Amino acid sequence: MNAPEVAPLSRTLTQEMLNAYAAASGDRNPIHIDEAFAKTTPMGGTIAHGMLVLSFIAQMMTAAFGPRWLASGSLDVRFRAPARPGDTVTARATPLEPREGRHRYAVECVSQAGEVLISGTAEVPQGAEA
Amino acid sequence: MTPLLTDLPAGHVFEPIRFSIDAAKSSAYRAATADGLSIYDEEGAVPPLAVAALALGALLERVGLPPGTLHASESLQAEAAVPVGATLECRARLTQRSQRAGWTVSVLDSEIVLDGRAAVKARATVLSPAS
Repeated sequence: MNAPEVAPLSRTLTQEMLNAYAAASGDRNPIHIDEAFAKTTPMGGTIAHGMLVLSFIAQMMTAAFGPRWLASGSLDVRFRAPARPGDTVTARATPLEPREGRHRYAVECVSQAGEVLISGTAEVPQGAEA
Repeated sequence: MTPLLTDLPAGHVFEPIRFSIDAAKSSAYRAATADGLSIYDEEGAVPPLAVAALALGALLERVGLPPGTLHASESLQAEAAVPVGATLECRARLTQRSQRAGWTVSVLDSEIVLDGRAAVKARATVLSPAS
């Protein structure tokens, strides 16, 4: 059974989002929120929390699968490159062969320049569409 | 004094951390991630990644990260939907520790438990500059 198509999702990062994410998640690493500090690091400026960028993949999968994703979805990803305020990040999913009753997708987040920021796989149980 | 993650030995088991995700925390997470989906309100549920993220945030109150630490990979498995207002317990363990190309590699496994059953399982791999 073929996996259903999953619509891509794009978000533009802002420093305000990074600040809000730090407050909401409790991850207040200064590399994400302290611009003066971040400029002194090899990154040269603030970078987004990996989990913030990953949330775009999770949103994409939630939009496609709803309660099934909330109760039984899974992700396995690597953070490949940092995303920065001003970057427009696109999350997208490519269907793979299903396995053990689960739809499988190759998922990634890419920047507006086409740089892969996150890549990996996502799975969700097959449902009525299967 | 908060220990650094890199000071802890492989196999270290963290004290279980209890935390709750009320409507305000869930809304703050969704706003911060620009997540406007209505499904959470319809289901009365918290995004699974929010559960993992807030558990990680709670863990970071117990252990410090050396400057320059990077999040290298993340695995997450939702085992059950987590309702808004749930009180959860994060059971975390430093599963692996290794050195690679100037980095200290730490693998943290977490089970986030709701009513005695794992609701979310997560594995985070972080790289810290080797001292």
